[in-house]
Amino acid sequence: MAERYLKREDLAKLIDSVCSGEGLFVGPKMDGRQVVYAPISAYKDIVFDYIVPRNSFKEFLFPQTEVIARYAVHKDGIDLQGVKAESPEMVVFGSRPCDAASVASLRSVFTWDFVDTSYTEREDRMVIMTIACTDRDEGCFCSTVNLAPDSVGGSDLFLKETLEGGYLVDIVTDRGRTFVERFEGIFSAGGADVDIKRIADVPRLKGVDVKKIKEDLRDTSHYDNDDLWAGLTRKCIGCGACTFVCPTCHCFDIADEGSALEGERRKNWDACQFDHFTLHASGHNPRDTQYKRWRNRFMCKFNFYPNKFSSRGCVGCGRCIRVCPVGLDITEVMEEMSGR
Amino acid sequence: MSNIYLPHLVTIEDIYEEAPWVRSYKLVFKDHEVRDNFDFKAGQFGLYSAFGAGESTFCLASSPTRKGYIQCTFRSVGRVTSALADLSIGDTIGFRGPYGNWFPIDRWKGKDILFIAGGIGLPPVRSVIWNCLDTRENFGDISILYGAKAVEDLVYKNELRHWDERPDINLVQTVDPGGETPEWQGKVGFVPTVLEGMAPSAGNKVVVTCGPPIMIKFVIEVLGRLGFDDNSIYTTLENKMKCGVGKCGRCNVGDVYICKEGPVYTAAEIKQMYNDF
Repeated sequence: MAERYLKREDLAKLIDSVCSGEGLFVGPKMDGRQVVYAPISAYKDIVFDYIVPRNSFKEFLFPQTEVIARYAVHKDGIDLQGVKAESPEMVVFGSRPCDAASVASLRSVFTWDFVDTSYTEREDRMVIMTIACTDRDEGCFCSTVNLAPDSVGGSDLFLKETLEGGYLVDIVTDRGRTFVERFEGIFSAGGADVDIKRIADVPRLKGVDVKKIKEDLRDTSHYDNDDLWAGLTRKCIGCGACTFVCPTCHCFDIADEGSALEGERRKNWDACQFDHFTLHASGHNPRDTQYKRWRNRFMCKFNFYPNKFSSRGCVGCGRCIRVCPVGLDITEVMEEMSGR
Repeated sequence: MSNIYLPHLVTIEDIYEEAPWVRSYKLVFKDHEVRDNFDFKAGQFGLYSAFGAGESTFCLASSPTRKGYIQCTFRSVGRVTSALADLSIGDTIGFRGPYGNWFPIDRWKGKDILFIAGGIGLPPVRSVIWNCLDTRENFGDISILYGAKAVEDLVYKNELRHWDERPDINLVQTVDPGGETPEWQGKVGFVPTVLEGMAPSAGNKVVVTCGPPIMIKFVIEVLGRLGFDDNSIYTTLENKMKCGVGKCGRCNVGDVYICKEGPVYTAAEIKQMYNDF
């Protein structure tokens, strides 16, 4: 039962309230002809008619580039200062259930024994307002990875669109409750008798069995089956676009930018699809061909994440399918692996 | 909470030219508290920064039994290692670590130890060698088989001389065919071949090996033929790393993250891994 009701127009007040302090309001916005998650400062910038934004909102938790330290070389030595991440209050409005589900995955990596506080401090201050999907496109496959257009996991507040254009609001977490209580005037009580829009139907892909994939991938011998992997993924050109739009891809580089006298050390997004990613200084490269790099990404999604980090590697958002310039569809590989 | 990517500052106290393009740095933490409390175990590694160029991963080549400093040995091949090699005594670099697991030396009491290293694979083994030599009474026979492409490529030449003179170590040195000089007193031949000729007995023995991947592969094969149990053979793997703490996603061999679950493995463990080397 819905606990609260949010009128669409009241989002304007919410945006103003959040943005009036240090807060950042993130939501779906037009960028060229595509909808992206972006900072929103005015109600009119919000797009309401979208399926899945082009990017995931991971860039607000794990920025594409981020300064971690500054160095300056003096005559008597080096001045090195760690840079603390900025972690303003962030509100993500219009998250999709797949994206909300991915946050626990990122967290599982960034807190694996060593805690990357620049990630956790941001996530700890993020309020995720997810809207259940009422539409889908041919890239969507959340149900195949055991999620759904109305999965609440990872959301702080879960919204369902009403026929009259407002939202029924379910409070999912304590953080969500605190947020709602802070804005009592905006999240009004009740609304239980309002009709909601029909939730999208995302049928399970026939012939894909994620559990079987996970179990089969444990058998190390498939790594030696070059025909299998090369055959399935030969057309990959290694552009890495899939990794940049993927909500759970977390790989990064650490690089110094500046002169020999002063500069910054940065954490920059990187991709396991790039040919130099694992290249040793000696010239040896453990993943020396593209299909091995593609295999690594697939393994990361369906073996490393679930087995090692006990979280989901793939949330079925379908972005990698939509963005791939050569039309390499991960669900085709999932199907092939399920039928082995 | 602290920034896990922020290095400590260390001063280069001494430099040793080990071989063409190979240097060792003796490093001392600038912060006295860190210097007094820093501890590690043989086999662990760190990330070394040349500010402006970036970070590189090397093992800690000194022994944890030697307090007050750490040592690294590296070959200048890339951007960071070249920048590191441009530095002089008194200069400052960054260090973070120690990271990773270590050789379980505590479990080797009373055993004979055979060290087998190739080329620049000696530095991680050296940490274990000195750890064992500094607690010599805990072990039986200690043998070292070390080879390099050519005589000039052998690292730690002074220490090799010292080990050769010690009566409680059996040191065998070899260079690849064609790498010998007229004065060369050691053997000529690849490490696995020389090992097969030495034919060490497998009983009550632990093997520690590191070198080029192809050497490690053949050493394990030869040891297998000589009757060694895969659980008694230890090696240390290396892969490209950036974070060293299990996040950046590049050092994994299949599902095994070298930085977190390694770098030290037994031959038995390596045989269980995905073929992703």
